[in-house]
Amino acid sequence: MNNNRYKILVIEDESNIRSFAKAILEANQYQVITSDTCQNGIMMFSSHRPDLVLLDLGLPDRDGLEFIRTIRSLQEATPILVLSARTGETDKVEALDLGANDYITKPFGTAELLARVRVALRVSQYSGNPSLSLDGKFFLHDLMIDYDRRIVSISGNEIKLTQTEYNILVLLAKHTGKVLTYAFIIREVWGPSDDGGVKKLQVNMANLRKKMGIKPGDNRYIINELGVGYRMCEE
Amino acid sequence: MNNTHKVRDAFFTFSTLIILLFFNIWMQEIFDTKTLIPMIFVLGVFLVSLKTQGYFWGITASLLSVLAVNYAFTYPYYAFDLISPECVASAVVMLLVAILTGTLTTQIKRQEKIKAETEKERMRANLLRAVSHDLRTPLTTIYGSCSAIIENYDTLHKAQQLKLLGEIRQDSEWLIRMVENLLSVTRIGGKNVEISKLPTVLEELIDAVLVKFHKRCPDQQVQVDIPEDFISIPMDAMLIEQVLINILENAVDHAKGMTELKLTVTTENALALFCISDNGCGIAADRIDRIFTGYLDQEIVPADGRRSNMGIGLSVCAAIIKAHGSEIHAGNNETGGASFYFSLELES
Repeated sequence: MNNNRYKILVIEDESNIRSFAKAILEANQYQVITSDTCQNGIMMFSSHRPDLVLLDLGLPDRDGLEFIRTIRSLQEATPILVLSARTGETDKVEALDLGANDYITKPFGTAELLARVRVALRVSQYSGNPSLSLDGKFFLHDLMIDYDRRIVSISGNEIKLTQTEYNILVLLAKHTGKVLTYAFIIREVWGPSDDGGVKKLQVNMANLRKKMGIKPGDNRYIINELGVGYRMCEE
Repeated sequence: MNNTHKVRDAFFTFSTLIILLFFNIWMQEIFDTKTLIPMIFVLGVFLVSLKTQGYFWGITASLLSVLAVNYAFTYPYYAFDLISPECVASAVVMLLVAILTGTLTTQIKRQEKIKAETEKERMRANLLRAVSHDLRTPLTTIYGSCSAIIENYDTLHKAQQLKLLGEIRQDSEWLIRMVENLLSVTRIGGKNVEISKLPTVLEELIDAVLVKFHKRCPDQQVQVDIPEDFISIPMDAMLIEQVLINILENAVDHAKGMTELKLTVTTENALALFCISDNGCGIAADRIDRIFTGYLDQEIVPADGRRSNMGIGLSVCAAIIKAHGSEIHAGNNETGGASFYFSLELES
């Protein structure tokens, strides 16, 4: 039975945070291994092959960003969840752009931690071809995206979207639960050479919200991560 | 900035001297006497030393005055006679006036700066004292409750333990909010540090604020009224988010009898006007003037200054809005309740 459990590597130098993260995760049937330095973390990663890494950025030996860089340069797709004590958006964006899957800002609650872990593990399972696993259709509350027919509807009523709006929505849906940075979305939707910038994306998002009837405070579909990017709700 | 000072000082020096020169010529015509001339030039030197920075312009003015008196108003007229003892003596007097005045004004300026520094230092010390005091209370609860549970694990009922743990969580949450506010203050930093403003979509900002606010106060409804248009405002989104959440939470904590909480944003010319209003008990008249500074002004912290988060929250709001080059205001509504409002410049 041990073998069926997800293995999570926690890299964090604060022993109290380490022990409480371990306690929560083990109580929720995850197998936990820990490390208190970046160097040791990389070693544990290659020997234990965890399913997910919880990574603190402020480590004593090296910056946590180094860990992400090293792991991603080895072509490993293991999801990395960053525990960030830093409040600046730039650090989050940098970690995400380096290949981290998500971030949690300290201090965080247990519910939040578990939810992010669940999502990261689920996303990584389907990362190969997400649309297949969803039977060509995406559902979230009353929102439905039919990938084959390129149709979006809410409560059965079809919504007319422009090509760009549809592409953004599908991109978010295919990465449900994951924060996509502005830079990532722009690159995926408009191509690498586009210099239209964040403004164009923000305008398209505003139109998308209007068409989908999203009001401020009603975050049923898309969450705004101010200064970082957007995230499709998971459930 | 230094250059503009120099230009202004030079302009002041030369215009003063030229005006006095013509004034002297005119006086000479009217009174037909030269007794006033040196006095008026001394006045000029004094003015220049007083109004310009450092000694340079005062000394320049005194030398120029000596030359002017020597050239235009003493025998031989309209020619220089620089070696006469009279000229040397007047030059020495002028120089003394310039240097002494310069010393005096420099001293006054230095004292003013010291006074401002002390004021800032006092505010900082008060903030530190108030914060430490405020931190101690929840920490006492957390420490005490944890010890109680650890030491009496077997004798305490499960329900009692849960109650204590619940209080620990509550106080930790309060601490988190307090620290978030302090972090915002450090993010603003010194007076000269520019905050980094990024264009932020109003709708996204309000959405993020409401999501966060509902996490903390799930039962409190907020009526939102913002323009339909796409509005982009340059701001430090995290800080403005903090401002709006602080004001909303302040209403929940302090507006007794509130049934309605409104968040309105309107645009006017190149400004976005934010207004948060409630229909609660309003702000007491004796507090309204000091509502944004009260926390920093208090010399003595009341013995049980519990939950004075309101003070620091609003002080932080005022500091953040100020750092955005605007001002925050509070007032009571005619129909009851209080309103907080501020404006931010729209993206041009």
